[in-house]
Amino acid sequence: MYLYQFSLIGLLLLSCIIQQFLPTFSGWHDARILILPLVVLCGSATISTAGMLILTFLGGFLWDAQQVLLLEQGDPIVYHSTPDTLKFGYSIILYTLMGFLMQGVRPVFQAGKWYLSAALTGVAIFLYLFVEYLLRGFIIGGFSLDNGMVEQIGATSVMTMLASPFVFWALFRIAKICKHTIGTKH
Amino acid sequence: MKPLNFVALLLFIAGLVWVFTLSQSSVRQIQKTYYSVFSPMVAKSAQSQAFANDFVKEVEHSKDLERQLAQANSERDRFRLIAARSWALETENNELRNALAFKKETKFDIVPARVIRRQPQMWGKTIEINRGSETGLQKSMCVLASNGGLIGRVQLPGNEVSSVLLITDEVSQVSAKVEGTTEVGLIIGRRTTYGEAPRLRMRYLSKNAILRKGMKVYTDGRGDLFPADIPIGTIEDFEVGPVYGEAEIIPSVDLTNIKTVFVIADSNGE
Repeated sequence: MYLYQFSLIGLLLLSCIIQQFLPTFSGWHDARILILPLVVLCGSATISTAGMLILTFLGGFLWDAQQVLLLEQGDPIVYHSTPDTLKFGYSIILYTLMGFLMQGVRPVFQAGKWYLSAALTGVAIFLYLFVEYLLRGFIIGGFSLDNGMVEQIGATSVMTMLASPFVFWALFRIAKICKHTIGTKH
Repeated sequence: MKPLNFVALLLFIAGLVWVFTLSQSSVRQIQKTYYSVFSPMVAKSAQSQAFANDFVKEVEHSKDLERQLAQANSERDRFRLIAARSWALETENNELRNALAFKKETKFDIVPARVIRRQPQMWGKTIEINRGSETGLQKSMCVLASNGGLIGRVQLPGNEVSSVLLITDEVSQVSAKVEGTTEVGLIIGRRTTYGEAPRLRMRYLSKNAILRKGMKVYTDGRGDLFPADIPIGTIEDFEVGPVYGEAEIIPSVDLTNIKTVFVIADSNGE
């Protein structure tokens, strides 16, 4: 069991590397495959709650190390209105909420209906990006909701969801090697 | 609740408290370490980005390509291809000439760099360039285009590559002045969505400012971040709010199509 957990952490680190190589499809709403969140989501459906908490913590931590913008501020007399940014670590909370969502359908996943979990990854990614966008709007200011933004989030969610069967396949392979049982209930 | 889950939850909460109480310098150090580890792969990933874009374009224009292939033997197409090639070479030549002239004429000590990746983040407007701390780049260094216009500043320098925050990002701030007036304000990026041209807002202008469309906006050199007199853009519109005036600015640089940039290593010049 623990070998599988450590393998998942290894897969998470590998996904950080793969993420660097995944391109943005600028011809289609700037869509991209978010492989790191996907590994966290798919992994969450295959492990216990305790393991999920560790996975989402590490995933959120690594994601924020990559995504959060930190700026050096100039003279406060001139730059009097310091721009607020999302706090480092916010992704951990969002990932954990998504992880619980995936855990909620774990019985279905264990029954062999992995495709439902795959579809749910798309929904979870959409919710994650949408909440992240709302948080940015709330903290930085200037909230606006338009079709372009929804299409961009939707395109990214679809692209990510389409990649989920490959991640599940990898997880099943790893589980087999580690002799970890994912699906037991029939 | 199972004892194992309870222990995991306690550890998770303790971890969250630790993360949320990290100082800014600690977070910066974490990001720097992360970037140092993964930045060597960024340059390679730029190639896959270019491949994907070419693929999408090729799919979009596949019918045109088929038509062109069918007429490949005709003389007219041959000349068209030759003309297209020479036009591309001329454009490239002009671009390089501008870049060379800019490097010669600029009063700054600059480091030329190539853009290797655009918008690697989901929301943040950043680019990645093929120069890093090995060539002397440091955080907050100012980045210009070959026409001398302001692009942004170095946000995170890696060893071989660096991340540049564009002035069009919402968290970017540039202290600026309007030419021919005493008006100064802060240039802030405006949120745009896919397909929308990047725009800037100039805030904290006086309510009774007399500003016209087409007036140029430059950095004013205050605040220790950007040297003075770097072109930022031109005024498109001016609105008077309850306390301050606010202007919409069109950037002087086409930020969606930058290929070469220049990092100001020393604003005092050589």
